Order: sequence, then C-alpha cells, then structure tokens
Amino acid sequence: MTATTTRTPLVRALPDALGDIPDGAVVGVGGTVTANHPMALLRELLRRRPKALTIVAPTAGLDVDLLVASGCVARLVTSYVGAEALAGVGPAVRSAAEAGTLHVWDADEAHCAMGLRAAAQGLPFLPWRGGVGTDLPTANPDLVPFADPIRGEPLLAIPALRLDVALIHAETADAFGNVQFVGPGHMDPLIAAAADRVVVQVDRLVPNAVIRQDPGATRFWRDTVVTRAPWGTHPYSSAGIEADAAHLAEYAAAVRAAGKGDPDALERHMQTYVYGPADHAGYLEAVGVRRLAELVQ
Amino acid sequence: MSAADVTALSTDELTALVLARDFRPDDRVIQIGANMAAARAGAILANLTRLPDARIFVGLAVENLAGGRPAPPVHPFLFDARGLQAGEAYLHQHSVFDDMARPDVFFVGGLQVDRRGNVNLLGIPDGEGGWKLRGPGPVALATMSTSCRGYYIVMGRHDPRTFVERVASITALGDRTRRAELGFPGGGPRLLCSPLGVFDFDESGDMRLVSVHPGVTVDDVVAATGFDLVLPADVPQTPAATEEELTVLRTQADPQGLLRGGVA
Repeated sequence: MTATTTRTPLVRALPDALGDIPDGAVVGVGGTVTANHPMALLRELLRRRPKALTIVAPTAGLDVDLLVASGCVARLVTSYVGAEALAGVGPAVRSAAEAGTLHVWDADEAHCAMGLRAAAQGLPFLPWRGGVGTDLPTANPDLVPFADPIRGEPLLAIPALRLDVALIHAETADAFGNVQFVGPGHMDPLIAAAADRVVVQVDRLVPNAVIRQDPGATRFWRDTVVTRAPWGTHPYSSAGIEADAAHLAEYAAAVRAAGKGDPDALERHMQTYVYGPADHAGYLEAVGVRRLAELVQ
Repeated sequence: MSAADVTALSTDELTALVLARDFRPDDRVIQIGANMAAARAGAILANLTRLPDARIFVGLAVENLAGGRPAPPVHPFLFDARGLQAGEAYLHQHSVFDDMARPDVFFVGGLQVDRRGNVNLLGIPDGEGGWKLRGPGPVALATMSTSCRGYYIVMGRHDPRTFVERVASITALGDRTRRAELGFPGGGPRLLCSPLGVFDFDESGDMRLVSVHPGVTVDDVVAATGFDLVLPADVPQTPAATEEELTVLRTQADPQGLLRGGVA
C-alpha cells in the first residue's frame, strides 16, 4: 500500500486570519512607500479600535500615517513615512511627532533591515556602520555605539526588532502558506521572518500545482495564515493596480485640515473608508467599480 | 538647438548636466532614490553619452541604456510595479544592504546642509526630546553616505535657513575630518547642486563655490548662504551644455519635461 496524508489548509476568512492583536502589540507592516501595503488587513485591524500599538514599517507610506491618524499607534519604528511628492512627510506622523503624542524610533532603512534580521536569526543585535558619526543614536538611544572587538572600529549595535505579528500582501499563495510575490516583495520576507506569526493577504489563491511551476519564487514562514483580499492594497499599488493618487491626495488634505483645527474631512474619510464598511467587500464598494477599473493596468 | 540655449535651461536641467559630467569613468552603479528627477536624468544622460557600463538603479529597477535603449517611462510614484518591468534586474529591498561594495554613487537631499557638508533629513529637535519640525526621516542616507564611493548633495532650496553653519541633526556625515577619524569606507560628498550654483569642499572640508548658474551673481549666493563660503578669486558660470547633451537630455533622458515643470 502507498501511505498518504492530508495537509492542513491555512486559509482563513479575513477577520479570523488577522487573529488576536492585543493592545500594545508589536505589528510589522509590509510594503514600501506607495506599494504593496496590506490595506485590507490594516482596515480590519482599525475597525477593532486597537490601542498603543508599536508599528514596525521600514519604509512606510500613508498606510502607517492612517494608523497614526486613527490614534492607535504609540510607537513607530521606521526610516520614512510619506508618499514622495504627494506628501513628503506623512502629515499625521508629522503632527503627532511634533505634538509629542507619537514616539518615533528613528532608524536608517538598513537599521530596520538589520533589526529585523537580528530578530529572525535569534540574535540580540547586529552590527552596522551606517549611522556612526550621525545624530541618529542621539535621536534614538536604542542604537548603541560600540567598538568592534575584532578591529576596534566604531560601529552601532542595532537591537533585534522582534514582532508579534507581520501583516503583508502578496499576489498569490496556495492554501498551505506557499507565498509568491510578483516583483521584489519589498522588505516583506524579512518582516515575516522576524514575526511570531505571519498573516498574508493575497490577490489570488492558487492551487499548489501553480506554485510548483516556479518554486524559486516561493517564500514561506513557520506560522502563517492566508486570506484572500482582491485589490487589497488599494489605495496603494500592487502588481495588478497602480496607486490611487487622487484618493491619497484627498486623505493627505483631510489630515492637514485636521491639523489646522478642521477635523470634518478626516472624520468623513475615516467613516467612508475605514469604520463605515463592514468588511473588505464593503470597502471596495465604497471605492467603486469605476475607480478600481481605472487602476487596473 | 544650440549651446547658447543654456540660458533657457531650468535649474533642474543644469543639475542633471553637472551630475552627468562629474561621474567618474569607473562609476558602475548609480543609485537613485525617490524625488530625485534631476539625478535620474543626469544618470541616464551619462549612461547614453559617456558611461555605457554603468547600471542605474531607479528605485528597485536596474537599468542600462547602452546602445540607445529608450529610458524607462517615469511614473508618478517610484515604486510603481510597472517600473520593474523596464529593467534588466530588480533589487530585493530585504537584501539590498547585503552587497555594500556595489553602490558607487548616491544622491542626498535634505532639510538643511551645513558648511562641512553634513545633511539633515530627520528634523529640527526641540531640545526636550521632541521635534520642533519633523522631516521625512533618514531613509537610507546614513548608510549610503557612509559606504558609497561618492555622493552628490542635491538641494531644492538655497536660503540662509537651509544652508546653515551647523545642521540641527546630522543624518549624513559629510565632514571630511570626522569621516577620516571614523574610518569610513566611502568617499564622501563630491559636489553640491543648488538652484543657484555648484559647490564642492576644499582641502579642509569647507564648502566652496564652484560655479554660479546663469543669471545668478556671487553676491546672490553669499546672501542666500547662512555661513561663510570659500570663494575662489574667479567664479565661472556653470558651463553651457553641448548640443549633444541638450538633445539627449531633452529627447531621451527627460522626454516628459519633468525638469522643466512637467508632471509624470
């Protein structure tokens, strides 16, 4: 006889996939600037009204700015938050940092990568040279200058950035947590490797046989669940859609108005796109088929 | 189009020209970050005229235009997935810092720059652990400026609040003396381009005026600078473009006219 076994599917509906994210949790967020953010997962998280989260997002877009605008972020680990020319600095991050209500753990992009890698490797820190001689260790005393014990040169110890959960977006996955990015995958593989558990939203679920057509493209992590979220990066780009610049401009203008004492537009935006829709399908309805179709390449 | 048209060049076009001419013959990787349209055009211009072996990193996409390959189209955002379909390779951001010998040239912008070439992109501290003005964040400035063979500082503004005696917070350490003391592998800042002219750093590491752009006087530059610049006896005008440079710049490197106020 031939022995056979049955693999356990890891696909969950979106709210279940997110799992329990307690107040104060350390959450890694994937994507880069205007690309590949796991927005369906983040909006579901926001609807739960979490508190005092630490967000780790190496090169963030207005996705993280939206989290800060909602008031759920106490601490932010990042090298950048913005949307290039559309918003050179995330407007909510700027006002919260200047008001002292948000603690930004300032780090170079490479520091974020080394901190995540240290966590993935189970190390307390990794050494790095970039940042020596700058004021980054003053802005962030967790970046500790030390003398290299081999050659004696000045280096920085970048502490491990261990994550409770990583939230990322990929184009495809199968039911068993075999994930394939179209394109570079940004910092997501490292964010996932640094996390106790990984939640992946995908544009499409595919059979394991499709994954096997390009096994070199597959990434996987020990504790992973997968959920389907078509157009799940909107208003940010993915392999399937371009970024929705008009939506982002409307958001940035609303946050800037709120900073000047007029919160109406921001409250409307949050109600329309975050708190109002019951689920991801409801969000897509709020955006509208016409707009989504315009963004498909 | 003739070289006399240089007076009609925008300051971003002048920056692109200055950069394209200054790259070293053996610069093999020119890495361009977000919001760096002039650097992008300068790298493409160099790749099409004098540096056929250079690879140009545009965001995460890796390009080489030798043989007159068309420049990749500019999208409104650098990390557009379409940008990755143009090149011969793309970078994986999670492993981009695994080969620090690779990037030769990088470009640095900032909220402030000082006499010693230090750049601040982080913000203005309030002196009590918070921020009077919060900037975009360091991105990868600290790392790239430490390691790459040489970098260019490209400032979008030139006024006494931007060009200061001492930046409020150092994100990229340009100071030649401090870099030598700390044993940095990289070569430090090569040139600085501002809307008013071109600058380098003298033997002691102080900022020096190299040339003024057309229509700008030395006095204009001095008045716009919040510290004492090193001023050579003769300061030339930024050299005019050759006919070839102008044609390649406008028809191949920047066909969308982004350096003349166009939009992607």
